[in-house]
Amino acid sequence: MTLVLGIATGTLLVAPFTAITSDRLAAAINTTGCGLLVVVGLAAALGQSRPVLDFGGWFGFGHSALRVDGMAGIFLAITGVSGAATALAAVERPPGRWLTALGCVLVLTTTGAIEADNAFLFLLAWELLAVCIYLIASAGRERPEQLLEGYFTAGLTKLGGAALLAAFALLYGHTHTFSLAVWAHSSLSGSTRGILFALLLIAFATKIGVLPLQGGLPAGYSAAPRLGAAWLSVALSAGYYGLWRFVFATVGPLPTWCGDATLIVGALTAVTGIAYAITQDDLRRFLGYSTVEHAGIVLLGFGVALLGQTAHNRDLAAAGLLAASLHVCAHNLAKTLALIGIDHVEAQTGERSLDRLGGLGRRSRLGAAAVGAASLTLAAIPPLGGFVSEWFTFEALLQGFRMPALLSRLLCALAAAALAFTAGLGLLAFAKYYGFIFLGVARAKLPRIRSTPTPAVSMGVLGIIVLFLGTAAPWEIHALGSGLAGTLGFDPSDSVISHPLVLGPVFADFSVLAPTWLTIIIPAYATLAFIIARSRRNAPPRSAPVWVTGSAANLAAVQYRPSAYSNPMRVILRGPLGYRSRIIPARDGDPDPRPVLQRTVVSAVDRYVYAPVIDAALAVSAAARRLQSGHLSVYLLYMLVALILGLALIPVLR
Amino acid sequence: MSLAEPRHEIAGYLPEHLGAVRQPGPAGELRLQVTALGFARSSQMLHRAGARFVTLLLAQAPEPAIQGAFAMRGDLVVLSAPVNAGETPTYTALGPWWPAAQWSEQELADRHGVHPVGLVAIPNLVHPDADACDQSIAGLDVFSLPYGPVRSGVFEAIQFLIETGGEDVTRVATRPFFKHRGLERRVVGMTPTEAVHVTERIAGISGVAYALAFCHAVERALGIEVPARAERWRAVHAELERMANHLDVIAKQAETAALSVGQARFQILKERVQRLRATLTGSRFGRGALTPGGVRSEPTVSREELLAEIDSLERELRSDRRRFLRTASMTDRLIGTGRLPRSLAEDYASVGPVARGSGVSTDARHERPYGEYRRLGLEVVTHRTEDAMSRVLVRFGELTESLRILRQAIGHLNRNGAGLSAPIPFDAGGYAFGWAEAAQGEVVIRVELCDGLISRLHVASPSLRNWALFDQAFPQDVLTDFAFIEHSFGLSPAGADR
Amino acid sequence: MLGWIARGLAQRRVTTRYPQAPERPIDAFHGPLLVLEASGADRELEWLCPTGAITVDSRRRVTLDRGRCIQCGECVRAAPHRFAFAQRYETAARHRQALSVGAGDDSQPRADRAVLAARARPLRRSIHVRHIDTGSDGAEEWEIQALWNPYYDIQRLGFFLTAAPRHADILLATGVVTPPMRAPLERTWEVMPEPKALVAVGTDACSGGLSAQDGSSYSGIDAVLPVDVYVPGSPPAPIAILEGLLLAVGLLGDST
Repeated sequence: MTLVLGIATGTLLVAPFTAITSDRLAAAINTTGCGLLVVVGLAAALGQSRPVLDFGGWFGFGHSALRVDGMAGIFLAITGVSGAATALAAVERPPGRWLTALGCVLVLTTTGAIEADNAFLFLLAWELLAVCIYLIASAGRERPEQLLEGYFTAGLTKLGGAALLAAFALLYGHTHTFSLAVWAHSSLSGSTRGILFALLLIAFATKIGVLPLQGGLPAGYSAAPRLGAAWLSVALSAGYYGLWRFVFATVGPLPTWCGDATLIVGALTAVTGIAYAITQDDLRRFLGYSTVEHAGIVLLGFGVALLGQTAHNRDLAAAGLLAASLHVCAHNLAKTLALIGIDHVEAQTGERSLDRLGGLGRRSRLGAAAVGAASLTLAAIPPLGGFVSEWFTFEALLQGFRMPALLSRLLCALAAAALAFTAGLGLLAFAKYYGFIFLGVARAKLPRIRSTPTPAVSMGVLGIIVLFLGTAAPWEIHALGSGLAGTLGFDPSDSVISHPLVLGPVFADFSVLAPTWLTIIIPAYATLAFIIARSRRNAPPRSAPVWVTGSAANLAAVQYRPSAYSNPMRVILRGPLGYRSRIIPARDGDPDPRPVLQRTVVSAVDRYVYAPVIDAALAVSAAARRLQSGHLSVYLLYMLVALILGLALIPVLR
Repeated sequence: MSLAEPRHEIAGYLPEHLGAVRQPGPAGELRLQVTALGFARSSQMLHRAGARFVTLLLAQAPEPAIQGAFAMRGDLVVLSAPVNAGETPTYTALGPWWPAAQWSEQELADRHGVHPVGLVAIPNLVHPDADACDQSIAGLDVFSLPYGPVRSGVFEAIQFLIETGGEDVTRVATRPFFKHRGLERRVVGMTPTEAVHVTERIAGISGVAYALAFCHAVERALGIEVPARAERWRAVHAELERMANHLDVIAKQAETAALSVGQARFQILKERVQRLRATLTGSRFGRGALTPGGVRSEPTVSREELLAEIDSLERELRSDRRRFLRTASMTDRLIGTGRLPRSLAEDYASVGPVARGSGVSTDARHERPYGEYRRLGLEVVTHRTEDAMSRVLVRFGELTESLRILRQAIGHLNRNGAGLSAPIPFDAGGYAFGWAEAAQGEVVIRVELCDGLISRLHVASPSLRNWALFDQAFPQDVLTDFAFIEHSFGLSPAGADR
Repeated sequence: MLGWIARGLAQRRVTTRYPQAPERPIDAFHGPLLVLEASGADRELEWLCPTGAITVDSRRRVTLDRGRCIQCGECVRAAPHRFAFAQRYETAARHRQALSVGAGDDSQPRADRAVLAARARPLRRSIHVRHIDTGSDGAEEWEIQALWNPYYDIQRLGFFLTAAPRHADILLATGVVTPPMRAPLERTWEVMPEPKALVAVGTDACSGGLSAQDGSSYSGIDAVLPVDVYVPGSPPAPIAILEGLLLAVGLLGDST
């Protein structure tokens, strides 16, 4: 396996350079590398082998290596599948050399971070990944706001990088080494662990999109050019891996408040994310906010894991971590599929506004099927993977009564309620999203559908994986359980999978779910109903015009529009959503003489956190511009001042 | 024909230079002749003096003229501006500053070829197009929802173009005239006795009130005195019709709120009223009962039987009303729904329970009493909360008032038994306005007679006047409030469209 | 809410037993017109009728077209020996010609109530009814709505009102068919699935009633679509409409 890992890493290393000659070739090489990663990851997770690529002291910060243990194996496999699908999509419809190269680097750095056994190596990969994300997010030049969105994403990533650096510095200060293996066994005080938890949560929150640092996701997804958003989605697994590796496995067990805080943040993130998703009109921003929602759901399971670890209840920790891992897996794959599918829709129609689309299902059946499978998963419809993982999360939260602290028990109950609410809103959101893109009739006359190459293989393969992820849940749990065994101290899959293909939370006799059987039973019922309906029909179906209360109105004009569909939700949640509605009278000289009904949704985070920070940053940069006089002598003066200050710092730090 | 005392206080609102000339007319109708140029100015003066817009029309008798009728303190002020025969009649439009006149002016322009200068054009109003759904408001959320002309349930044909941004009603545009049957033209050449059958069918659910207004117009034009006994029976028929209409509105409100037993109860009461009307007139809608000059026949039912039925209705109505008003699931849907500020109701010259629900005390039976109402005291029921509940409460109040009037009118029936109708002169001519209060509000009809035949008829329907206001009745309301607000208006499309 | 339930329970039965039992009309009810004496009439008799429902042929025999009659009673008042109101509610007929009656002619092939009752009893599937107004005076709508009130309660016979014509079996059409309502009428009929039946409710719908004049376009439903059942009356009583519905059910096929 070490050889396979070596080949995979080598392939991934080569891929970006081949992009100079051909983007299709680079993507193909990248696909191969990702495929190999899946093999390596699965082998590691299942405990077959633990491949290591040793670098020795080559980097100068102590011994370092690329090491794939069980936990890394899980994330490597997830990255591999979504990365391979995205790269395959790039083969089928090349997005250009620059972006292909960036995508290859992104996969390389993501896997590098996951495989690193040395914090310095991790940091190196992480920072390269940050640069890569910035370059992808700011590669698009079609709209002026893309630039700001790119900067915004990069800025948040930098903030995360700074928090990570601080956390690593603190850990280094205590252990005087960068070896993750040593860090995992270091003895730290409770307060240090608390500080580390806060720093690490900030660091990874910027990547996976946790309130209030979620802004980079919708902005980045929106700003990225072709397939860029799908690449960004691939990189999510690095963020989740960081949480698992550093927060759970390295600095845990944490003080109780850390788990409580995770639950609160998770619940808020989930509800806010989906509430904002419902109100979005932009195809990709919707998916960005949906990613935020799912980050919140993952944090709910993760919070239970942290609390279980604190309480030294390893079953509880296992229940939480398993649920969270399942959800990361389901979400990552489904989100990548959705982004590839939506990318195809965009390429076909040249349209990003939900409002102008409609009825695409008949034109692009494969795209509709792919986004449909992804939507069903993301909306947690049984028996698909998203439902299985949300069910496990819910069950984990229901174990709250096993917590020692009253507050934690209470928070678990509240978080379970928030999860149920989120799932309900999620259904509404995806009904809107899918329905308004693919069903009904088009609400606006689109420029003629362009015939672009369909990423059929990537969507097809990933679609099948996503569709049957729930069915394969017992085997998936087996892999996850054995992969997490090293961290948890036992393999929870033995107590999860009881009867043949029947699942329960880690605690026996609590409740059961059999997604595999459901996969057989639900379609069987549907087929039966169809057959019965067919056999009783005595007249052939006849199509009649759509009934519009007796008028022959233009159907496109009298349909519900997506924003109108979600308006009741906006009105109900008007406080947290910052909803405003007003009618602006038309001014003289406007091309459209009608008044405009304007409804805006400004998130509390945007209004009270981001807007002031952005304003301040713009003010500072305006002030800094004044320093740049252009005179060489002045710049020399700056350098002199900087040198003196630097020298002055040395005695202070000593 | 009795000439009213000169009303200096009204003529005084019109300055000398407008050259208003008062002409003789029947009681309650103040005819002022102005020049075509002074028409708009004079109307404005009346508007400032607090007059309520009633209607605009093109008259042919005594001479071709643009006429405006305005209700003001016990008088119907009729401004008449002669036009030259053979030219396109023209005048300065009132709509730009008087919203109430807009629909009337559009109809005048589209149906009668009048040219109001500065007309506020309302496209598709008079000749509706069921398929047009142009949006008047732009925005990412807004779309139009045509509701009608074939609406869900058993309702008359009318279209509402609802613009919504999702659930909340942003704007409503009512499109009447889908069922314009040209009845005003149909009666031309008929005798008044024949024409009353047509007027009964202008608004089938308020046939008695329309027929009554028509009979009044004929009687006033020809100076006929109606026997008191006939006037009493007319009041009985009219009040029973009002009760049926109000009970219908309340039953529909209960139906919309899914209050099944309440709905059934008010439907039972309504059916009993309809059956009572059939017993009295042979028709469940009181058709054929009225004729110009009086009533056609006298019911054979004894007064005691009638009073017993009225007592029983009152008992049951009282207990159902109490229950209705105590049912929170019902009243919650009505309170605060469809608020119509008083100022708006006045601007649009609304009439009937809609106006009275916004605190405007207007009732033809009280302002310009006719027939039996000159002898009966009438309490005009108003409520000031301006919402759908207010309009329902007005109807409940009027039901009680109707029962009281019925009892009084039936009680007076034993007095003098002189004839049931006065003869109509065979070949007389004349012209006059007549009015009556229908359940929807005041019906005003103008009749021109020539050689005993009708030469022109103009109907000012309360439904049409109130519908212009309906568009404004959705300040803060959502789609599910629509039916409540519509029923609270209780209008008749057939009456509006004619 | 409990108050309403108590009130509902205290209400005694008011519902008619029609069609299982005959419905006796209210005293003095003006039902369809009867011709008592047809022969020896003057041509002037035609002038009595504002809708031209009375015709006197060359042999001076009177025929009355109930499809045009608005029951105004002008003829009954002027010639009580020739015309009278029948004491019944039912007016429906399958064919337009059947509405024209001569003397003593109420023995016209009328719908047999026993047949209708048999049709109503074993309704195995419910009948969904859609209504369209093409320019009525509004009274017909009240009488149709009345069918769902406790006195007539036609849900007991399996009739339901539907908003969607795509689910409807019977279309109840009222009104004279004004020009703007012509297209909606055709559209409504088009989207209804087979088998379906069209019932013209009211004299206006049967012939245009008072609105019909020489040269006027308001001449009822059958000028636009083939009508299956005519229910004349101005307006027809609820029982008459119910009779028309039951006649129409017979046309729908497998429900008898």
